[in-house]
Amino acid sequence: MLTLSGVSYRYAGYAKPVLHDIDLTLADGEIVGVVGANESGKSTLCLVASGLAPGSIGGAVTGGGLAIDGEPMADKPLYAFSTRVGIAFQNPATQLSGVTGSVFEEVALGPMNLGLTQRETVERTNAAMATLGIEHLWDREPRRLSGGQGQLVVIASLLAMRPPHLVLDEPTAQLDPEGTRLVGDALRALAATGTALLIVEHKTDLLDGLCHRIVALDEGRIVLDGPAAAILEDDRLVALGVDPPSRVRLARALDTRGLDAAAVLA
Amino acid sequence: MTHVTVESLGFVYPDGTRALDGVDLGIEPGASVAVIGQNGSGKSTLVRHLNGLLRPTEGRVLHDSEDVAGLRTAALAARVGIVFQNPDRQIFAGRVRDEVAFGPRMLGRGKAEAAAAGAAALEAVGLTDATDANPYDLGYSRRKLLAIASVLAMDTPVVVLDEPTTGQDARGIARVQQVIAQLVADGRTVIAISHDMRFVAESFGRVVVMGSGRVLLDGSPAEVFAESAWPVLASTYLEPTHAARVGARLGLGSTPTEARLVEVLSARG
Amino acid sequence: MPATPSPYHRLNPLTKAVIATVGSIGAFVLGGYIGPIAIIAAALVLAWRAGVAGRLARVSLLLTLPIAISVVLVSVFTRAGTTVLFEIGPFDATVEGVDFALQTLVRLFAISLSIGLFIMTTEPRAFVFDLERRGVPPRAAFVAVATIEAVPTLVERATTISESQRARGLDTEGSFVARVRGLLPIVGPVIIGSLTDVEERSLALESRAFSRPGRRHLLWAMPDSAWERALRWVLVIGLVAAAAARLSGRI
Repeated sequence: MLTLSGVSYRYAGYAKPVLHDIDLTLADGEIVGVVGANESGKSTLCLVASGLAPGSIGGAVTGGGLAIDGEPMADKPLYAFSTRVGIAFQNPATQLSGVTGSVFEEVALGPMNLGLTQRETVERTNAAMATLGIEHLWDREPRRLSGGQGQLVVIASLLAMRPPHLVLDEPTAQLDPEGTRLVGDALRALAATGTALLIVEHKTDLLDGLCHRIVALDEGRIVLDGPAAAILEDDRLVALGVDPPSRVRLARALDTRGLDAAAVLA
Repeated sequence: MTHVTVESLGFVYPDGTRALDGVDLGIEPGASVAVIGQNGSGKSTLVRHLNGLLRPTEGRVLHDSEDVAGLRTAALAARVGIVFQNPDRQIFAGRVRDEVAFGPRMLGRGKAEAAAAGAAALEAVGLTDATDANPYDLGYSRRKLLAIASVLAMDTPVVVLDEPTTGQDARGIARVQQVIAQLVADGRTVIAISHDMRFVAESFGRVVVMGSGRVLLDGSPAEVFAESAWPVLASTYLEPTHAARVGARLGLGSTPTEARLVEVLSARG
Repeated sequence: MPATPSPYHRLNPLTKAVIATVGSIGAFVLGGYIGPIAIIAAALVLAWRAGVAGRLARVSLLLTLPIAISVVLVSVFTRAGTTVLFEIGPFDATVEGVDFALQTLVRLFAISLSIGLFIMTTEPRAFVFDLERRGVPPRAAFVAVATIEAVPTLVERATTISESQRARGLDTEGSFVARVRGLLPIVGPVIIGSLTDVEERSLALESRAFSRPGRRHLLWAMPDSAWERALRWVLVIGLVAAAAARLSGRI
C-alpha cells in the first residue's frame, strides 16, 4: 500500500509548489490511472510517489509525506525505494543503462545491484522476462530494439526488482501504434501479477478497461478520484483538457444528435 | 505555390538498408496529406528528400517540375519547411522571440521583418504570451508548438510536420489541428507524419500509407479506413479508427471520423 | 568482436591491458632503434594471430602520421647537431636531427600499435567488469563504460539537431566561415540534450538500485589463469628492470 498524505511539492529553486495537498492511496494490487492536461503535475506526482522527488532531484515536500505499507519514506536512502516502488518513463532510450550487450544482461542489472547471488539474479531475470513475454529477445542488443520492445525491457528490468508498486509516466507517449499495443498487453500482464500500478496516460482508451480507479489532476491538485468507468464518463474531463475514451466521445456525439448510443455501441 | 513530386524515388542507406523503393507521389499546392505507417516504413526518409536533407539513390525529387538535385538544403528550406518530432533537438535560443526569428533570418529577411513574421507565427500557435520567455521554461507541449511556430515564421509554401501530436495533450492537439486548417485555408501545402489515426482522419484530405519503403495505399480517409483496406493497414501494423470500426460493424460503409458516422446514422434515421 | 575470437581475444582483459602498457612505456624506456622496432614487430605478430593486423596497421598509420609529420619537421631542423645535410633559409637539417626524428617516429608507432591492439581485441565492457571483479567500485566501472558507449548516441543526436537547423535554412554546405557559424545552433541543443539524457538516465537507474553501496555478484567473469598472472608479473618486472638499467646508463 502506497500513500501520499497531504503532500505539497515544489522543485528546487522555485518558490511556487507544483503539487498541492495531494491525498492518494494505491492499495495492493490496485490499478490507478492518472489523467490531466500537460503541466497539471502528473509527472511531478510520479516523481514524488517513487521517492525520486526529493530523493534524487531535490526540492521540498511539505505538508505530509510518502508512506509505503505504513512506513514513512522521508529519510530513506534512494536505493531503498527500488524494491518498493519502481518508475518507468516515456523514453526507452534514456532508461536503458547503455552498458549492457544483451537484453538478459540489462534485466539482470537491477538484481545484481541488490547484491543477490547469481542463482537468484538469473531466476528473477527469467521470471521478469517471462511475465512480459520477451524471452525471445534475450540476446538482442538493447539499443537496437524498437521503441515498444525497449519499453518492455525497461518494465521487465523494473519488475526484476520485485517492487509491489510500479509507477508508469506516459509509457506509450513516444511509441507507434504497434509499440502502444505491446505496452498495453504488458500492462495487462503486470496487472495479473498483483503489482499495484499507477499509470499516467493521455490515451484514455488504454486506461479504459484496465484501471480500477482514475484520478484527475488540475494545476497540481486532485480534482477527481473515483471508479474508472464513472470518471471516464464524467463530463468534467473535457474541461480539464482530457480526451475521454473513444466510446464515450462517440456516445456523446450520438446523444447530441438524439440518436440511441446504446444501440450503436452494443 | 509549389507542386511537389517524387518520381520512382529510391533510397538506400550507406549500410545497405533500403528505406524507399520506387515511390511515386504528386502533391498539389494546398493539399493536406498525412503519411502513415509503422516505424521503419520509410515515412521519415521520404519527407527528408523533400528539402534535400537526403538525396535520392534512385529517382528524382521535383519542385514545380524542376529537379532539386542541384539545389542546397539551405536554399530548399525557403520552399519546404520541416518541423521535426523532438523540439529539444532544435531549440537553441534563450528567448522564444529569438527562436522564431531564426528561420526567417536564415532565409535572408531583415531583423524587423523576421520579428514581425515571428510574432505572427507565435499568435497562430497561441504562444504570444510567452514571447519573452526562455523556451525551457515552457512545458513540452508548448515547446512543440514553438518548434512549429519557428517554421511557420518562414512562410514556406509547403509545411511538413513530423509527428506533431506525439506527447501533446488534448488542447495541444486541438491547437495543431487549428494551425493545419489555417495553413490549408491560406493555400499552403501541409504534409504530416503521424500515428494518431483519429487526428489523421479528421484533419487531412489525403492519406498515404507506407510499408517497407513503398506506398501501399493513397487516397482519402474514407478510402484508406474502409473495411476493404484494413488488411493493408494491418500489414504495416496500423488499425482503423474507432469510428471506422463501429461504422463497418453496423454496415454503414466507410465512416473514418465520428462526425461522418453520426452524419450517416442521422441520415439513416 | 568477431564471431570466433582468436586465442588473443580470449585472454583476460587485464593481461591485454598490461601488454599494451608495457609495450607503450617500453618503447620509451628502451633506447635506440632495436627496442621500439622489436615492440612493433611483437605487436604486429600478435595482431596477425588475432586477425586484426591489417586493420591495426592502417588505423595506427592514419593516427600517427599527422603527429609524425609535425614532429619530424620540428626535430630535423631544430635538433642540435654538427653534420649538416641541407639548408632551408636559416634552418639547418642535420644528421642528428634526422636520427632523432626517426627514433621518435618509431616510438610513436610502437605506442599506437600497442594501444590499438588492446582496443581492437578487447570489449570495453569486459575490461571494466573484470576490474570490478578485482575491486574497482561498480559505479566507477559504470561511468567508464557508459562514457565509451555514449559516443554513438552523441553523434546521432548532433545529426538530428543539424537536420532541424538545416531545415530552417542553416547552411552547412557552404563556405568554411558559414560552416563554423553554423555550429552554434547545433552545439547548444547537443549539450542540453546530453545533460537532459544524463539526468533522465540517472533517475531511471535509481529504480534499479544503482546507488546501493556494496559489492555485486556479477553474472559474468572473464577467465584468468595462473600462466596469465605469471606473464603479467614477468612483463611488469621486466619493464621495471629495463627502466632501472636505462637510468643507470646500462642500455
